[in-house]
Amino acid sequence: MSGARRTLDPRDRALLRRRLRGPVLTFLALMALLAVNVTLGATRPFEQVWIVELLVVAAMAAIILLVSMEVRHEPPLVRLFAGVGFFWVAILFGMTLTDYLAR
Amino acid sequence: MSAGTVDAQPVGVERVEHFATVAQQRHAATLGMWVWLLTELLLFSGLFLVALILRLLHPEAVQAAAGHLKFWIGAANTVVLLCSSLTMSAAIELSRLGWQRLMVACLLATASLGTLFLMLKGYEYYADYEEHMMPFLAGRPYALAEQPATRLFVNLYYVATALHAVHLVTGIAILLGITWKASRPGFLGRHQNWIEVYGLYWHFIDLIWIIAFPVLYVVNR
Repeated sequence: MSGARRTLDPRDRALLRRRLRGPVLTFLALMALLAVNVTLGATRPFEQVWIVELLVVAAMAAIILLVSMEVRHEPPLVRLFAGVGFFWVAILFGMTLTDYLAR
Repeated sequence: MSAGTVDAQPVGVERVEHFATVAQQRHAATLGMWVWLLTELLLFSGLFLVALILRLLHPEAVQAAAGHLKFWIGAANTVVLLCSSLTMSAAIELSRLGWQRLMVACLLATASLGTLFLMLKGYEYYADYEEHMMPFLAGRPYALAEQPATRLFVNLYYVATALHAVHLVTGIAILLGITWKASRPGFLGRHQNWIEVYGLYWHFIDLIWIIAFPVLYVVNR
């Protein structure tokens, strides 16, 4: 961990900017979506606002899965496992709510 | 893979004998982590489902209980975890470049932000205690005792957030262990994928909180 140069020259900085551009843009997108949800939660502008809030959460989850966790670059088998997890969650919610919403 | 610039170390994965190729080894490690995350997803989904059912069965009680949650601390903690995801992503990118010193700094920043989250959570629990919002404490009066159904939501809140905190404590401990190993000479030449695989776990903890915050704090206000 020692012995190499410890300062960044212009080439290093350019490389660093290029490599961190994606994570920084992802962070900014997530912060913007969080700001939307916090604003909606604090102001409660209309009765059905929870629908918008859950859609914003779904967008945030999709960004984390596809970009931060890099699912879009993974081989098909890993993508299948990641997708199957949410499919099982959909079964869990769907079958349970079939009961509660039909009462 | 390294650009041969500042602090650049060789980057790679040392193949162990039961894998035919390094690519197969990397793939197996990533897939193994995803299988683990699947079980975690189902665990937390069950809790989120209970929150939804409680909302359907006892809407007034859930709203009354959620009104006592510390919305702004929850929001601040979400920001803290998003920052930690950024430093984790940066650590992964730096590991791919072989920039070991900067990568270790990012890993330490990630662990620090995780610790800050836990401190804020601890303060939130303390504020809840002060407001008599711990119905499971037998010897302490409960602020919403006249609405028994609120106990269900408040207890669920503690189970879900405490379970998340346990994952964070474990995550920080493992992260510090990996950081210590990652600071040793030659780490990135042998185990670079450890950083990537661990990053999946950290992002997942972040993802769970990003869902928990609106499900518990926001939609029930």
